[in-house]
Amino acid sequence: MTNRKPLSTLGLIALTAFIGGGALRHADTAAAQQQEEAMFAGNFERNMISDATNLPSEWDVRSGTNIKWSAPVGSQSYAGPVVAGGKVFVGTNNEGLRNPDMPNDRGVMMAFDQESGEFLWQYATEKLTAGRVNDWPLQGVCSTPFIQGDRLWYVSNQAHIVALDVNGHRDGDNDGPFADEVHTSAIDGDVLWSYDMIGEVDAFPHNLATSSPLVVGDLVFVSTGNGVDEGHINIPSPFGPSFMAVNKNTGELIWENSDPGEDILHGTWTNPTYAVVNGTPQVIFPGGDGWVRSFVPETGEILWMFDANPKDSEWALGGRGTRNNIISTAVVYDNKMYIGVGQDPEHGEAPGHFWVVDITGSGDITDAVVWNRSGEDFHRTISTAAIHDGIVYISDLSGFLYALDAETGEHYWTYDTFAAVWGSAFVADGKVYLGDEDGDIIVLQAGKELVELAEMNMGASVYTTPWAEDGVLYVLSRNRLYAIETGAQSEPMN
Amino acid sequence: MSDSRSALPVRLLRLSVAAILVATSLTASALPAPQEAANNEWSQWRGPDQNGVSAATDLPDDWTVDGPGQLWHGDIVGRSTPVAFDGRVCANGRLGEGMEMRETVACWNAATGERLWQRSFNVYNTTVPFTRVGWGSVAGDSETGNLYVLNVDGWFHALDELGRTVWSYRLHEDYGRFSGYGGRTGTPVIDENRVLLPVINGSWAEFTPGRQRFYAFDKHDGRVLWVSNPSEESPKDLNIQAVPVVTEIDGQRLMIVGGADGWIYALQARTGNFVWKFQLSKRGINVSVVEADGVVYAAHSEENLDEGVLGRVVAIDARGQGDITHTNELWRATEIPVGFSSPMLHDGVLHVIDNSANLIAFDAATGRHLWEQNIGNVGKASPVWADGKIYATEVNGNFVILRAGEDGAEVLDTEHIEMPDGRHAEICSSPAVAYGRIYFTTENGIYAIGNDADAPIETWSAERTMPVPDIDAEVTSIKVVPADVVIRAGEPAQFEVHSFDVDGNFIRSRNAVWSLAGLEAEVSEDGTFWADPAIGHQVGRVLAETGGMLSAYARVRVIAAPPTVEDFNDGERPPHWVAAGRWGPMAEFDGENVLTKGPSPSGIHRHVTYTADASTRDVTVQVDLYATQEGRRRADGGVVNGGYTLDLAGNHQRLEIRSWASELLMMERVPFEWDMETWYTVKLRVEPGSNSTMVRAKVWRRDEAEPAEWTLEIEDPRALQSGAPGIYGYSPVNIYYDNYKVTANR
Repeated sequence: MTNRKPLSTLGLIALTAFIGGGALRHADTAAAQQQEEAMFAGNFERNMISDATNLPSEWDVRSGTNIKWSAPVGSQSYAGPVVAGGKVFVGTNNEGLRNPDMPNDRGVMMAFDQESGEFLWQYATEKLTAGRVNDWPLQGVCSTPFIQGDRLWYVSNQAHIVALDVNGHRDGDNDGPFADEVHTSAIDGDVLWSYDMIGEVDAFPHNLATSSPLVVGDLVFVSTGNGVDEGHINIPSPFGPSFMAVNKNTGELIWENSDPGEDILHGTWTNPTYAVVNGTPQVIFPGGDGWVRSFVPETGEILWMFDANPKDSEWALGGRGTRNNIISTAVVYDNKMYIGVGQDPEHGEAPGHFWVVDITGSGDITDAVVWNRSGEDFHRTISTAAIHDGIVYISDLSGFLYALDAETGEHYWTYDTFAAVWGSAFVADGKVYLGDEDGDIIVLQAGKELVELAEMNMGASVYTTPWAEDGVLYVLSRNRLYAIETGAQSEPMN
Repeated sequence: MSDSRSALPVRLLRLSVAAILVATSLTASALPAPQEAANNEWSQWRGPDQNGVSAATDLPDDWTVDGPGQLWHGDIVGRSTPVAFDGRVCANGRLGEGMEMRETVACWNAATGERLWQRSFNVYNTTVPFTRVGWGSVAGDSETGNLYVLNVDGWFHALDELGRTVWSYRLHEDYGRFSGYGGRTGTPVIDENRVLLPVINGSWAEFTPGRQRFYAFDKHDGRVLWVSNPSEESPKDLNIQAVPVVTEIDGQRLMIVGGADGWIYALQARTGNFVWKFQLSKRGINVSVVEADGVVYAAHSEENLDEGVLGRVVAIDARGQGDITHTNELWRATEIPVGFSSPMLHDGVLHVIDNSANLIAFDAATGRHLWEQNIGNVGKASPVWADGKIYATEVNGNFVILRAGEDGAEVLDTEHIEMPDGRHAEICSSPAVAYGRIYFTTENGIYAIGNDADAPIETWSAERTMPVPDIDAEVTSIKVVPADVVIRAGEPAQFEVHSFDVDGNFIRSRNAVWSLAGLEAEVSEDGTFWADPAIGHQVGRVLAETGGMLSAYARVRVIAAPPTVEDFNDGERPPHWVAAGRWGPMAEFDGENVLTKGPSPSGIHRHVTYTADASTRDVTVQVDLYATQEGRRRADGGVVNGGYTLDLAGNHQRLEIRSWASELLMMERVPFEWDMETWYTVKLRVEPGSNSTMVRAKVWRRDEAEPAEWTLEIEDPRALQSGAPGIYGYSPVNIYYDNYKVTANR
C-alpha cells in the first residue's frame, strides 16, 4: 500500500449523517453544497432501492403503451441508467454512431434529456491498441458514472478515470483543466481531466476496466481492473494497483493499493462502496482474489478483510472451480455487508455464495459471518443486493431471484426468470424490478409473498438495473433506453 | 494427353479407377449425393447432409439418466460433438489430472459402448486452459476408416481405425496457427479426397500477417492440396470454430464457411479458389452455415455492419461471384443473437438456438418467424432433427427432446445430467444420430441413448470419393501440390501439378516446367526438389508453368539441421522464421545490429517466433537479451525449445521454465534478480529420453563467464520428444536480442 498524500480537507464526517442504514438518494450538504448526486445503485451503500413512487408495473414497448420516450443507444450497454440534473446517463458502445466524425469501435458515455429523451451529447473514446486483453471489442463503457452537480466521473474503456462536464460542449464552454478536446461540437463531451491508470500506475485491466466510481469528499475511488494476461495465470503488472483514490478536481493520485497483486484470480471488475460503520467511515472494495477489503477513505489504510470463499475452495482456469472472484458490489445495511461471489458469465453457471457479514470488526473478519447461502441454494452471481423493509432481494446468474430475511437469511421465496441475469433487482414503490438476458423485465410485489405483477419484453437483453425518478422508470436494454410512465403513450414500434 | 496420363502418380490413378467404377450412375456434374443411399451414420459435423437432420426412425421421446433409454455411458470429459461411423462412435475430449492432463481422442463400439481405443496427447505451447481442451470435434472418413482431429495446441492428426497416426501436422509451430486463449478449436471436414480445415495463422513471407486461411489436406497422405487466403482483414477473434459445409451449386462444388474476420466465404472445394464472400458480422463467426436449394443460411450474435444492434439470421442466394454482401441477401431476422449454435434445416423450416437457449423456427423461404421455445439459459450446441423430433442440449446439463408443430414446440423430455459432486455437467456437444441411437458428450462422459439396445448397426460404405475427371475439359487453373510445405534440407521432396476446369473440377495430374524463386536449390523435370543442407534455412517458391499461360506455385520452407547461428549483422530478420510479424526491426547497438522486439502497435506484447521446424529435437537454444524499463514496466525475454519456454521475467525478477502457459504442470521458477539495460545470456537445453525429458536452463551476465551449473533443471515424465526452437518476448517496452544459437546436444 502506498500512502501518496494525506487529504488536506475532509468533509467526510458531515457526509455521514445522511447515509445511515438504508439511505436513499443522497444529497451531500457539507462536501458538495446541495449538489445533486447520483451513482450506481443511487446511494453510497450501493443498496439497489429508491423512494420513487407511482411507478408503472405494466407497459408495452411495441405498442408504446406507458412508454414516455425511448432512444437508441449502442448495440451493447452495460452502464447506467443514472438520472441527475434533468439528464439520463448511460454507458454504451459506438454502434449507434451519434457522431459520424467519430467512427469505429469506441466506448461511449451518453447523456439524454430526462423529460424528452433528446440525445444531448456523448463522450466517445477509441479502443486501446492492445485489443481484447485490455479493452474487449465492442463492449463500450461498463462503468456507471457518478454525478455530482455539474460534474460526472466514470472509468473509460481506455482505463482512464474521466471527469466530464454534465452539460458537455452544449453549454458553449470548454471547461478545464483539460481543454484540448479535438471534438467540441454541441454533441461532444467536455473533458475536465482524465487519469490514465495504465500509463500512470501500470494497471493491467483484464479485458476491460469497468469500475463505477464513488466520489466522497474530494476523492474519487475506483478499482483499476488489474488482472491476468491472455494466458490467465501470469499477472503482468503485480505492482500496478487494484484500488485507488484520486482528487476529484484535478485527478491527482492520492493513494493506491497494489494488493492482492500476484493473487488476483482473473480481473478486478468491482465497484467501491462507502459507508460509516459504527462511526467509522470506510470505502469497501471487493478484490480480484475473492477477498473484500475496507480502507480508510483518506489514506488507504486497511481496516478489515473478508475472504468470500471457503478455505477449501479451488480456483480453476476456465471457470469450473469452486473458488470464485467477486463482480458484485458490496451493500452495507445495518452495519453488515451483503455480497455474492461469481465469475465472468462466460465461465458458466455453478454453485456460489451469498454472504452477510458483521463489518464492525477489524483485521481479518472472515469469521464474522452472520449468515450465508450457498451451493444449490445460491449460484454464482454478478448482481448486487437490494434490501428493503428487512428483506434482501438478490439474483444469481442462473436466473433465480431470492427474497430472504435480511437479519436471519430465512428464505421467503425464489422466482425463476428462466434466463441469465446480469443486472440486479431494483426495489421501489413496493415493487421489485429485474431484467434478464431474454430481454424480459419481471415486476414482482415486494414483500414476503411471491406475487408476480407482470413480465414485459424489452426487445433486447437487459444486462443493467432499472432506476426510477419522479414516477418514471428508466430501463436500459442492450441497445435502447426507455422512460416508462403510467399513462404515457409513444408511437408504436415496428 | 496420353503422355500426361502416364505421368499420373500411382495414387491418383488408383483413385480414378475406383471413381470410374462407381460413377456410371452419376451424371457428370452430380454430387455423389448422400441422399441416394440411406446414410444412417453421422460421420462428421452436422450429419450426413450437413444440415443437422438424420433420417433415423424409432428414436426415444424420453429417457432417464442412468435408467431406461440410456444404452451406455463412456468416460471422457467432453466438449466436442461425437461422430458415429464404421460401427464406432468417436469423440475428442480430455482426461487426467495434474501431470496426467491430456487431450484425449477415443472410439467406442457404437452398440455396446466398449472402448475400442484411446489416444492421449500431451498439451504444450498453448495458452488455453485444460478446462477448454478437446473442443474441436473429430471427423470420420467412411472410405479409409480414418479419424481427423485438430488438437488445442495445433497438432492436427489423421488416425487410422486403430488410433494409430497416419500423418500429422504441428500447425502452431510450423504454420503459425494462433493458439488464442478461449479454446475454441476447429473441426475438420472430409470432402472427397480432402480434409478441409479453417486455420487462423501468420507464418512467413506473404502469409506473415495474421489472417483467417483455409487449408485442404489430402486425406490419405496429408499433403497440402491448397491453401486459400481470401481474407483482406485481420481476424477479429482468435477464439473461433465455424465448420465448413460443402455443397454443389450449378455444377460448382463449394466449401462455405464463416471466418474470423466476420465474412462468409464460398471457395471452390477442389481448388480453394475464391468464389464469393458475404460480410455478416463485425466479429468472428462461430456458426456453421446450412445450405439448401442454392440458399445459404448463416447467423451470428455480434455487431452487424449496417445496423447498431446485435445478432442476425440471414438467408443468402449462394449463386454469386465476388462480394455479394449487398446483392444476394434474401431475408434477414435481426436482433436474433445466434452466436454458437449452428442452424438446422428441415422441411423448409430453419431452426436456430440463440445465445440464451431459445429454439426459434423460421420459414426458410420467407424468414417469417414461426415460433420459439425456451430450453434453458445458455445456447451453445446445435439442434438435430430426427424421427419427427428435435434433440438439443443446453450448457447447464440439460438434454432436451421436443416435438415441433406448426406454431410451436412441445418439450417431451428434459434430462438433467450432473457431475458426481452434484454440479450440473457442462454440455457443449450437439447430438449425433446414427444406428437408431443418439450420442453426445458432456463434462461427465459420453452418452448413448435409444429405444433399442439391439438395434442393428448398419454401416454406410463410401467407396466413391472422386467424380470421374473429364479429361477433355478446358484447363483453367493449376495447383502445385504440396501447396505449403516444410522440407528438411538434404531430403528430396516431390511436387506435382493438378489441373482443374473452370468449376474447379479436377482434370488430371500433369507435368509442368519447374522453376524456383527465392530458393537456392534444385528441381528436376519431374518435380523433384532438393536443397543442399550447406545453404541452411531458406524459404521461397517452387513454381510450375504449363502450356496455356497457366502458372502456380508452392510455398516451401527449407529447414537445415543444427547448428544455427544468427548474429543479425546482415540487418535482416531471417525470412524463414514463423509468426515473426511482431519481431524486428534491427537496431544498432554498440555498432552491431541486434534484433528488437518493441511494444505491439496492436494486440498483446507477448509472442514467440519459431526459427526451425517442430521436428527439431535434442538441441540447446541460446540468446543474448537486453531488456528495458519504463516506469513500472519491464520486459520479459527468453527462448523456446522442444515444447518448453524459458522466461526471464523482468517485473517478477525470476527465471521460469514452463510448457503450458495456462497450466502449472512442468512449471518451475526461481527468484532471479537481474538488471534492466544489461546484456544477459540465456540458455535452454532439452534432452528427450524414452521415459522422461530433461530440461535445463541457465542465465548469466553476458560480460561474465558462463556458469558451470544450471540455474533450473526439471525432469518431465511426459517425455516430450521434439518441438520448434524459437525466441520469446513480452515487450510492453523494448527488448533486444543478439547471437541466437541452436546447437545439437550430441
